[in-house]
Amino acid sequence: MQLRRQPLSAPRPGDTRPAAQRLAGPLLLLLALQGAGASGGPEDSGWLQDAEPSSRLLSQAARAALHFFNFRAASPSALQVLENVLDGRAWVNQKKEYKFDLVFTTEFYSTEEDEKRLGQCSAQVFFRNEKPRPAVNVTCSQLIKKERRQEEDYHLYKLMKQLKSPLNAVSIPDSHGYIAPSLRPVWDLAFLGSSYVMWQKTTPFLQYYMSQISSVKQWKTNDDAIDFDYTVLLHEFSTQEIIPCRIHLVWYPSKPLKVKYHCQERQTPEEASGTEDGSAMALTELSNF
Amino acid sequence: MKPLLGTFYLLGMLVPGWLGYDRSLTQQRQEGVDKVASPWRILETYSYNRYHPMGEIYQWMSEIREKYTEVVTQHLLGMTYESRPMYYLKISQPSNNPKKIIWMDCGIHAREWIAPAFCQWFVKEILQNYKDNQRIRRLLKNLDFYVLPVLNIDGYIYTWTSDRLWRKSRSSHNNGTCFGTDLNRNFDASWCSIGATTDCESLTFCGTGPVSEPETKAVSSFIESKKENIACFLTMHSYGQLILVPYGYTKNKSNNHEELIQVGQKAANALKAKHGTNYRVGSSADILYASSGSSRDWARDIGIPFSYTFELRDNGTYGFVLPEAQIQATCEETMEAVLSVLDDVYEKYWYTNSARKAKSTALVLSLLMAFMSLL
Repeated sequence: MQLRRQPLSAPRPGDTRPAAQRLAGPLLLLLALQGAGASGGPEDSGWLQDAEPSSRLLSQAARAALHFFNFRAASPSALQVLENVLDGRAWVNQKKEYKFDLVFTTEFYSTEEDEKRLGQCSAQVFFRNEKPRPAVNVTCSQLIKKERRQEEDYHLYKLMKQLKSPLNAVSIPDSHGYIAPSLRPVWDLAFLGSSYVMWQKTTPFLQYYMSQISSVKQWKTNDDAIDFDYTVLLHEFSTQEIIPCRIHLVWYPSKPLKVKYHCQERQTPEEASGTEDGSAMALTELSNF
Repeated sequence: MKPLLGTFYLLGMLVPGWLGYDRSLTQQRQEGVDKVASPWRILETYSYNRYHPMGEIYQWMSEIREKYTEVVTQHLLGMTYESRPMYYLKISQPSNNPKKIIWMDCGIHAREWIAPAFCQWFVKEILQNYKDNQRIRRLLKNLDFYVLPVLNIDGYIYTWTSDRLWRKSRSSHNNGTCFGTDLNRNFDASWCSIGATTDCESLTFCGTGPVSEPETKAVSSFIESKKENIACFLTMHSYGQLILVPYGYTKNKSNNHEELIQVGQKAANALKAKHGTNYRVGSSADILYASSGSSRDWARDIGIPFSYTFELRDNGTYGFVLPEAQIQATCEETMEAVLSVLDDVYEKYWYTNSARKAKSTALVLSLLMAFMSLL
């Protein structure tokens, strides 16, 4: 599979500002920056390449890209996690915004001990100062065939349909890291929803991991779709804080994920007060670029 | 017949493990010898593949001491904030050889359960194998192991009773409105300068002053008193799959940074060879984040040459709540890494002496032969 790596500084032939408004804001900005980066003229925001980007910073950007990738794929059976960053370049501008050009390997989230197949992705990640952040352009090699992925998703969906509400679980996993096999699909779906939230919240300084589902408010499957309302505990690495986020998602196999969230931040000096909300309803304009 | 069996049982007690762990014998032994020796209640069925609450870990420690009394002693390091005893185990092969100390502590952060699990695994591996395993026997000739299975006992108990994701100690601040100090920000190493805060609600609260916490004080005083003899300071955490060298409070490197990286990388390779797990090696400021007041940095700064933080499995998939099903593999691979570090430490102190002697002897001999041939 051909991977197209597009260095942000390389000029692209025929790069005009797109007139069509089908493309979302982030993409517009990203393309504009690519053009500006190439010209290096006085009007650009002064991107300086970081000669030695730390591996932590590159991993963080790669994870943000993967969160977005997982969210967009909307496939709880094919979630991927970062394995290793193979190559990465970073730029900073005067406004302390960062952009990255990355190549990294991935593996399946639900991997068996022996099953260690690696995928590969290339991504450009742009951390802006305004929300939503960050903007991501990512392509990954196909770790699993589309048909097989859809089959697995549908299989998960059928398992989920069999689960009765209320789900008999307080914490998933429990304190000992155990997830009952019947609840495994719930965990995968929760991770999918959390991916959206973690993508939104990642900055060059903050990175998130999903620790535990602390409660399930609602699990409905009476219509076709799975309607899942839960609270997840996200672990932020640099502050070590645990942040509870209430997430409400609606999922149907092969359809885009609909998600709303509300996180309870502890007030920190740099950030404004308390809570953070976000949502994604229709996704068509954010489809593969 | 019975008196003969009785003799065998008594002999079996003197030679640990001689009679094996046959169920029926064990039962009879327990019934028969309750008054004579301690029944090894917990140790015989102790699973190193499960997480254990503090009560069981205390009991495990005393039984280990009783069972392996020829090499193990148990010592009181100090008391926690909530007045619980902090015990460490000393594993030492009695001899006239000069010894260097290897210190290992686990569970300075309460929620990192895999760390205390590893400390217990490590002790078990050393004690079950030191007689027949040549590698471990060699290490014990000149190294003493001091293992603190749980440093932050109050916090660890709190993760079992109240909040699985608690990190800090359980000291009380601000008139009981605020709990816990991040013990790994409380050591006297550029205290609270970076990556820590004086906000007691924060998870990186550095305490009311350097070494303000009883747990930190207990470890600090002890290490300080033995520092001339401590060759290696290991502190076990999770998660992140990292082997960290000083420093966290600055991007500057220790004067033996190259060596620390080399030894660390060798350990990471040994770890990876076991189950394929990838660990990264580097200074805390470079590959993790800036932080001050860590025990590892403090240990290096008072002169302990080999000082490492291990961040065990995993990479964020389960994070702190690592499934018990992964304990064995994690402990096996970590054991390889730690043994690799210990081999290097051993060779630095004991191999070089004999190697130097061998080299100088060879030099003298060759000079002598050259001289003779000239005559």
